[in-house]
Amino acid sequence: MQLVAYESRSSVNDTQLITRVVAGDAAAERELYETYVDRIYRLTFRLAGDDELARDFTQATFIRAFEKIGSFRGESSLSTWLHSIGLSVTLNGLRKTKRQRTREAPIEEGITVGFAREEAEPDLKERLARAIDSLAEKYRTVFVMHDVEGYTHEEISEAMGIPIGTSKSHLFQARSKLRVMLADFAPEWVS
Amino acid sequence: MTEENFEKFLKKTAQGYNAPPVRVPREEMWAAIQAKRTAGPRVVYGGGTTSPVHERRFGTRVWLGAAAAAMLLVATGVGIGRLTAPTPTPVAGKSSATLPVPGVIVSGEQPAAEASAPNRVASAATQNSGRQAGVSSVPRPSRAPQNVASNAGDNAVRSQPSRLTPSSAYQLTALQNISEAEALLTSFRSRSSADQQMDAQLGTWARQLLTNTRLLLDSPVGDDPQRKPLLQDLELVLVQIVQQLSPGGTPQDRDLIEKTLQQNHVMTRLRTAIPAGAQRGS
Repeated sequence: MQLVAYESRSSVNDTQLITRVVAGDAAAERELYETYVDRIYRLTFRLAGDDELARDFTQATFIRAFEKIGSFRGESSLSTWLHSIGLSVTLNGLRKTKRQRTREAPIEEGITVGFAREEAEPDLKERLARAIDSLAEKYRTVFVMHDVEGYTHEEISEAMGIPIGTSKSHLFQARSKLRVMLADFAPEWVS
Repeated sequence: MTEENFEKFLKKTAQGYNAPPVRVPREEMWAAIQAKRTAGPRVVYGGGTTSPVHERRFGTRVWLGAAAAAMLLVATGVGIGRLTAPTPTPVAGKSSATLPVPGVIVSGEQPAAEASAPNRVASAATQNSGRQAGVSSVPRPSRAPQNVASNAGDNAVRSQPSRLTPSSAYQLTALQNISEAEALLTSFRSRSSADQQMDAQLGTWARQLLTNTRLLLDSPVGDDPQRKPLLQDLELVLVQIVQQLSPGGTPQDRDLIEKTLQQNHVMTRLRTAIPAGAQRGS
C-alpha cells in the first residue's frame, strides 16, 4: 500500500531533505512536494469533495510548509507535520466555505440536510455520503482518515493534535451515528 | 459479529465517498504553488500569509488584526465606562438613587461642579485638541452646568481624578470608532470590486464596526447631540456596506452607499470629528 511506502522513508532522508529545502534548494522542494502531494491531495479531496477546493487546500498546504519549514523541529515525522498543516488548512477552509454556502443557501434547502430526503433517494451510496457529510467535523475527519484513507490512530492523533484514545472514541462515535442513520440498510451488512 | 460486519460494510461502501480522481494534478498544482510564491503574499486558508515579503504583509492581514484590536478596545472602553459610569457623586440631602446619571442630568437640579466632572474632562480635552472644539463645546440643553464648569478652569478636574474615567473612556472609544470608520470608508470607496479577498476582510471589519457603533449609540456617547446623528448615519452606512459585501450584494448597493455618504456628508463629518493629532484608522 502507498501508506507503507511513505512510512518507510527514513528520518535521515527527511532530515536531509529538510536541510536542503531550508538552504533554498529548489530541487529539494520539488522532491518534498512529489513525495507527499498525492497523499495530501487525496485527503483534502476526501474531506472537501471538490477538485477545485482540494487543489487550493493542497497548494496552500505546501506553500505554508515551505514557508515554515525552517521552524520544523523534527519532533514528529515530516509526513505528520505536513498532514497537520494540511488538515488545519483544509478544515479551516471548509469552515469558511460552509459559512459562505450556509449564507447563500435558501432556508428550505437548509432544512433538507440530513434525513429529510431519505424517501426520495434510497440509494445506499448516496445515503452514506449524506450521512458522513452530516457528521460533526471531528467525527467525519477521523472516520475519513481511518476507515476511508487507512490512516492509523497514531497518525490521526498526531496530525489532529489529539490523544489516540480520543481518535478511537471519535471513530466509535462516527460509526455509531452512521449505523443509526443507515438503519434502513441493515440487511446489507447483516447478510 | 454484526458489529464486525457493519465495520467491513462501512469501510467497503465508504470507499466511494468523495473518491479522488486517479490522476493527481501534480504539475498544475506545482505550477500554481510556484506562481503564488513568486507573486507575493496571499492569505491562505486557515490564516497566515504565504510570502516572506514583509512590506506587503501589511496590506493583506492588517485589517483583520486592526479590526479585532479596535473591537477589543471599544468593548473594553464601553465596559469600563459602564462599570464606572453610574456612580454619581452623593449630594447632601439626596440619596444617590435619586441622582440622574451623567448622560441625563437635568439642568439646575444639582450643583454644576458636583455633577459634571467627567463631561468637563471631555470638554476640556476636546477644546485642547482644537479641531473638536466646535463639536463638543456646543452647549447641550441638559448639560449646561457642565459647560459652565468647564469654562471655570481645569483645577477642579485635576482635583477629582477618580471621576475622570467614565466620560474619558467613552470619548476615547468613540474617537477610536470614528477613526476606524473613516479608514474603513476610505478603503471601501477605493477598493476594486473584483478583489473578493479584500471584500471579505472589509466585510468583517464593517461588521465589527457596526457592532461597536451600536454599542456606542447605547452608551452615554449616544446622548451627545452632536455625536448621535453622526453615529446613526454611520450605522446606516455600515449596514449598507455589510449587505453589499455579503454574497447577495449587488453593484446597485454600492451606488446607494455612495449616495448616503454624499447626501449625509458622512466622510466630512467623520473627519471633522477626529481631532488633530489623533491616529486615523489603523
